[in-house]
Amino acid sequence: MSALGGPAQTAGVQSPTGMGLAISIILIIVALALAFFLVQMAGLLALVGIIIGGVLIGFGVHFVPVGGAPAAMGQAPGIATGVAMLAAGAGLAGLFGGAWAAPLGFPLALAGGAIGGGLLMAITCTMVNVIYIFGMGIPAASGKVAKDPITGDTFPEYKSQGTEGHGLPFISWVGGVVGGALGGLGGTLIYLELLDIYQAQMPALLGATVEQIAPIAISLAGVFAVGMFLMNAVLAAYNITGTIEGPHDPKFKRFPRAIIAAAAASAVAGIFAIGLLELVGVF
Amino acid sequence: MTVKIEVGAGGIPHNQIVIYGLVGSLVLIYLTYLNQVTGTEYFAFFGGLACVVALLWGADTIKHLCSYGLGTGVPSAGMIALGSGVIAALFGATTGVFAPIVALIVAAIIGAVAGLLANHVVRMDIPVMVISLTELAIVGAITVLGLVAMVGGTFNFLDLVTGTTVILGFAVKSYEASVIGGSIVAVIFMLAAIAIQHAFNACLGPGEQQDRTLMLAAECGFLSMIPVAVISFAFIAFIPALISLLVSVIGWAYTYAEYIKLSKRDAYAWLDAKPILEPKGGA
Repeated sequence: MSALGGPAQTAGVQSPTGMGLAISIILIIVALALAFFLVQMAGLLALVGIIIGGVLIGFGVHFVPVGGAPAAMGQAPGIATGVAMLAAGAGLAGLFGGAWAAPLGFPLALAGGAIGGGLLMAITCTMVNVIYIFGMGIPAASGKVAKDPITGDTFPEYKSQGTEGHGLPFISWVGGVVGGALGGLGGTLIYLELLDIYQAQMPALLGATVEQIAPIAISLAGVFAVGMFLMNAVLAAYNITGTIEGPHDPKFKRFPRAIIAAAAASAVAGIFAIGLLELVGVF
Repeated sequence: MTVKIEVGAGGIPHNQIVIYGLVGSLVLIYLTYLNQVTGTEYFAFFGGLACVVALLWGADTIKHLCSYGLGTGVPSAGMIALGSGVIAALFGATTGVFAPIVALIVAAIIGAVAGLLANHVVRMDIPVMVISLTELAIVGAITVLGLVAMVGGTFNFLDLVTGTTVILGFAVKSYEASVIGGSIVAVIFMLAAIAIQHAFNACLGPGEQQDRTLMLAAECGFLSMIPVAVISFAFIAFIPALISLLVSVIGWAYTYAEYIKLSKRDAYAWLDAKPILEPKGGA
């Protein structure tokens, strides 16, 4: 059930329409072709990286226990805010981690991004439970499953009547950390791919060294990564329609739709980010 | 658990607001081009005014979209608007004098793709989704471009990436001290994203009135202009930045007073707290 009254959801998962699938595939292929045409092989690989990053973000959002307004009243499990806020927090923390580690090499930067996002969610989830348990005096109980898949704790005895569960069970905590790590990893991947493109193109364009243009390249790659992060996170949020408890929630099974949407959206947004410098000085 | 979002009827039709918003913001953003024509920076504040007009339009679009109940909260609409808008705005900025038009077209493409994906892949099946996300992306792009023009006095990419710093009395070209190199775009991104979603998020519910929501949107726009005007002291001359600051403070004070008036009109009752006066001659 959504926090703010979602569109009518029939039972089961509605699969994407044929038109939606066709548009997504065509958009991805056109974007890849354009990337190859504009920046050759480097552009193609960068766009593939951006699409993978977007898919990781879209997938990762489904792990995050989003409670929304009902959670703030202790009537639903999860963190008491919307998907966009949580995703923005985890993504930005991941980006900071990744951007800080960027000079240390590609794998270390990706790991830095994942740890940044995961760490933020770990702290958030822990503090949420501290407030729930010691501040509001409510135990953690899931409304969607009877037993925690990891610890085996049972929930029905602790669930208050008239609620959908409350607090943040361990499985949701794990989901939050995994989701934050995936989001941070995806955001950092987008950032690194764009940074590579700009660092390769800008020195010739502006007649400066790589060190001199670094502030512009980093700033552009960063703000584009944040923009694409939020696009993908919101599309994933639309897929969840409101609240989700974590990987054990039945809504989690909807994630293939978000992956298709995130891939196509990142391809379209990514091609404009990659082709950014193509028109400089033309007009 | 469903909280119904209620929208007041009446007011100016949405289509009329779209036309006013589109034409008004484009004209205002082009007025900042007078800076280049006349070789001054006095017209920078028109960028902020373009942002305010676009925000009025965006708040009304968010009202239309969110009256269907997205299930993800109103802020997510603002986030996807600016997420797709910032990419379009910076891509547009590279095309010199055509910047606002190109940004508008690119934003429309990204927004339409996001809308199609939301309806046909993620299966939101909301009738106004495609057109609303298209409008929101355009609003996001114009907002970012307007505020960028306000900070830097121009929307030309090459002028935005180069700044000057004074070292030992000599003016040196520096990429770090520029609007984009200094990551001012990231600040603008968040200022605009909060401004675009706050108006409807705060005013929704029974008794929502269009004029009150839009007045709050204008107030948020002017409020976002104030920090942007303060930042612009670093990039444009003192007098033009002061003009920007005065315009934003006066605009904010006026819209805030009007908004309070409208709130009192629509409220059932209110308490005007007055200080307790000491009786004459002491107690």
